[in-house]
Amino acid sequence: MKKLNEIASFGKELMGLEKMDNVLDLIASKAKELVNADRCSIFIVDNEDHMLWTKHSDGIGRIVIGLDSGIVGGTYEKREAQVVNNPYEDERFLPNIDKKSGYTTKNIIAIPIFDSKQEVMGVMQLLNKSRGDFQEGDLKTLTFFANYVSGSLELVLLQDA
Amino acid sequence: MRYANTYHALAQFGRELLEKKTLSQGLPLISSYAKNVMHAERCSIFIYDKEKQMFWTTLSDGVQKIVVPATKGLVGETLHERKPIVANTPYEHPNFLAEIDKETGFVTKNVITAPIFSSKRDILGVFQLLNKEEGFNEEDIRFMIFFSHYISGFLELTNDYLKEEV
Repeated sequence: MKKLNEIASFGKELMGLEKMDNVLDLIASKAKELVNADRCSIFIVDNEDHMLWTKHSDGIGRIVIGLDSGIVGGTYEKREAQVVNNPYEDERFLPNIDKKSGYTTKNIIAIPIFDSKQEVMGVMQLLNKSRGDFQEGDLKTLTFFANYVSGSLELVLLQDA
Repeated sequence: MRYANTYHALAQFGRELLEKKTLSQGLPLISSYAKNVMHAERCSIFIYDKEKQMFWTTLSDGVQKIVVPATKGLVGETLHERKPIVANTPYEHPNFLAEIDKETGFVTKNVITAPIFSSKRDILGVFQLLNKEEGFNEEDIRFMIFFSHYISGFLELTNDYLKEEV
């Protein structure tokens, strides 16, 4: 309940922003706070070029991946959230990104963000929960949160296009 | 694109909406904004009660409730089809409930509806506008889809999660 009230007041702050970069930053930092995750990347779907891109990712800069690659691509294809608490044992996981950045991914939660046409317009990925693994509660919170921010995100993406 | 032009108005509306702490405070704001933007005479937001297989909606004050069966009318069709419906000649539409016009004395000239989805992709409600002078067109459908999505977070939060605090 406290989380939901927090999300409600966050919504006001979010709608005050006009630039896509700021919107993405604010969503990412709130998402991390909500589930105590170390990193958050928001991948945007590019249907023309068949890829998912991030404007910026925590600690690593821009990432571009195929619509079918990694846990994020899996989330896009299945249109369903993915919780992966043992990424190195998951064949979809892309260890090269860890290699490049020097970061060690311990666990992952990835949530699809649906647009108004009910198509997946993005994927919100969070890494490394501060204590333990991602749980059912995290999934519920982020599923609600992703939908709550999706209207604002769609609006800035349309504006940016 | 229309959204780009109305971007500021919509963002401003969004901020105002999120100031509202309850569903009944938010509904009149949503309704008056949508009527204004779409030049429609009436707006109703039907909230779906899955357990009871009913929709409820409020009068313009946002407080007094009306209940309608989930299977009936264009609203029921929207729930079933999970997509918007436009009826510019409602009296010729098989699912239109002419009885309601008879009861209320209101004359429905045209109707547009859109489903409102929850974060779980279930239908949370149906958004409906009535009587736009020149009838509803393709662009209006796009606006309805976009706008229903835009308000869905607020509706889900106030209807499903903060209910007990209302």
